[in-house]
Amino acid sequence: MSTQQTLLEKRYAVLGMALIAPTVLIFCAVIVYPLISAIYLSFYSVFTPTLEGEWVGLGNYTELLQSGKFWNALGNTLIWTVGTLSLQIILGIGIALVLHQNIWFRSLARSLILFPYFISTVVAVLVWKWLFNDLYGILNHFLIKIGVIDFPMDFLGTMPNAMISIILVGAWKYFPFVVIAVLARLQSIPDSLYEAAKIDGAGPIGRFFDVTLPQLRDVLVVIIMLRAIWDFKEFDMIYLLTGGGPLDDTQTLPLLVYQEAFALNDMGMASAYAVVMMLIMLVFMLVYIRRTKNDEGV
Amino acid sequence: MPTFKKILFNLFAWSIVLAVAFPLFWMLVTSVKPGFELFRRPPTILPETWTFEHYWKLLSETNFLIYFRNSIILSTATTLVVVAVATLGAFSLVRFKYRGRESLAFLVLFTYLLPSVVLIIPLYLLLVGLGVSNTIFSLVIAYTTFALPYALWLLRSFMAGIPEDLESAALCDGATRMGAFRDVILPQLLPGIISTALFTFILSWNEYLYALVLVNSDASRPLTTGVMNMLISSFNIEWSLLMAASVMMSVPLIIVFAFLQSYLTRGFGAGGVKG
Repeated sequence: MSTQQTLLEKRYAVLGMALIAPTVLIFCAVIVYPLISAIYLSFYSVFTPTLEGEWVGLGNYTELLQSGKFWNALGNTLIWTVGTLSLQIILGIGIALVLHQNIWFRSLARSLILFPYFISTVVAVLVWKWLFNDLYGILNHFLIKIGVIDFPMDFLGTMPNAMISIILVGAWKYFPFVVIAVLARLQSIPDSLYEAAKIDGAGPIGRFFDVTLPQLRDVLVVIIMLRAIWDFKEFDMIYLLTGGGPLDDTQTLPLLVYQEAFALNDMGMASAYAVVMMLIMLVFMLVYIRRTKNDEGV
Repeated sequence: MPTFKKILFNLFAWSIVLAVAFPLFWMLVTSVKPGFELFRRPPTILPETWTFEHYWKLLSETNFLIYFRNSIILSTATTLVVVAVATLGAFSLVRFKYRGRESLAFLVLFTYLLPSVVLIIPLYLLLVGLGVSNTIFSLVIAYTTFALPYALWLLRSFMAGIPEDLESAALCDGATRMGAFRDVILPQLLPGIISTALFTFILSWNEYLYALVLVNSDASRPLTTGVMNMLISSFNIEWSLLMAASVMMSVPLIIVFAFLQSYLTRGFGAGGVKG
């Protein structure tokens, strides 16, 4: 009996491995192999058009750490990530609280709020470029009309406007993610907690800090880490809105990798930037993975 | 005054919603304004004359339809491959015991968080080396790098939600594992599979970086890079045309979105966000 059972278990294990085999093969071909060769490439100097290169050892890394480009991009990446993430969280929680109430046409309101998250970044960028347009843009027109500015503003071509603009567009595009996650959590907070707080004499603001926020804590930690990782690696939006400009004042690390590989034609150097960028992200990635593991008992 | 307060709160809530949605409204309005109205100051909020000339021009004079077709093929192919592989993979990860399973699950989550720019250079070299660069096929390969971990992660949490007893009962009745999978698990998993497929489709539809690097011929360019190219290549930017393109590009998403409504909270954020 027992040998039969282990035989069955063995057969199941083989079947299980057969089922995961296509996944493993694809992973090895398009993720593991490229990942390893990115690290390998970072020790070479490779000229993109000919793909010829030579071993430079740690040369790329020492050059990277000494060059202002890297530190500038790292600084910009941090400013962008912290800026847009904080806005996303504040907007996300605020709007989730509003949409949690019984407002008119609530499901329509929710769909409208969600839409920026689902449209393509290319569409978002085109629309915002049109809104930002210096001659015919509605934003400039509106700001002049209400008397905030006297002349049309250059939203994307000067500093600090460019950084502020990409932070705002990033917040607009990605805050719905926070809304959905917070909304889902809000729905599961038991009413009894609020009633107890009411009996204790807590007002609406007191109830938010005493009941809502502590209940949201766990989900907020997960959202913040996930969004921090995603914002840190954001390429499309910044590349399309400013291209890293003016000069390189909105140049972030992902843009630097792209520029080094496909504009300055040094794939080795670009790989070194990519590897360092991933090392920085690794901290957050590992914390996030540990956190999710604990939550689900993987 | 509860009703007065209620009305005030509703006005407040809806002005926020409309402010957030304004760029989308503006995109729609701009796309139906005739050229002369576009450059009028002050701008008109609602168009005085409606026109669909930009849509017509988009379809007849630009490569838009080719890009659109490419995007449909690309996103559908990616979704089919990824969801098929990921469904089997998730079944294996959740319901079977073998060595290395835990580390595999870890790897899946890790790659789900991996930035594309790290993979883009070696992938470019690989696909050029294989001689398939500049094709839709090369993009399908590249898109699996982000779509497969995503789909696996999502399906894994859907799979974990199906009670194991159902499968055990079928096994007791003499079904094989794959038989039980087909007859018991797949029907239960169907909503999960559908929402995973829709989310994967959206991801592929919106992807930009791989398309930018791997494809530079109009014959196989998808919408994202194609439409952006229209912006760069035109001498004087025709905003109405670009807004019409943006609207058209979002239509499939609106359709998917309508389907998704009921699955939305369950699948949102790759199971990464759980209450």
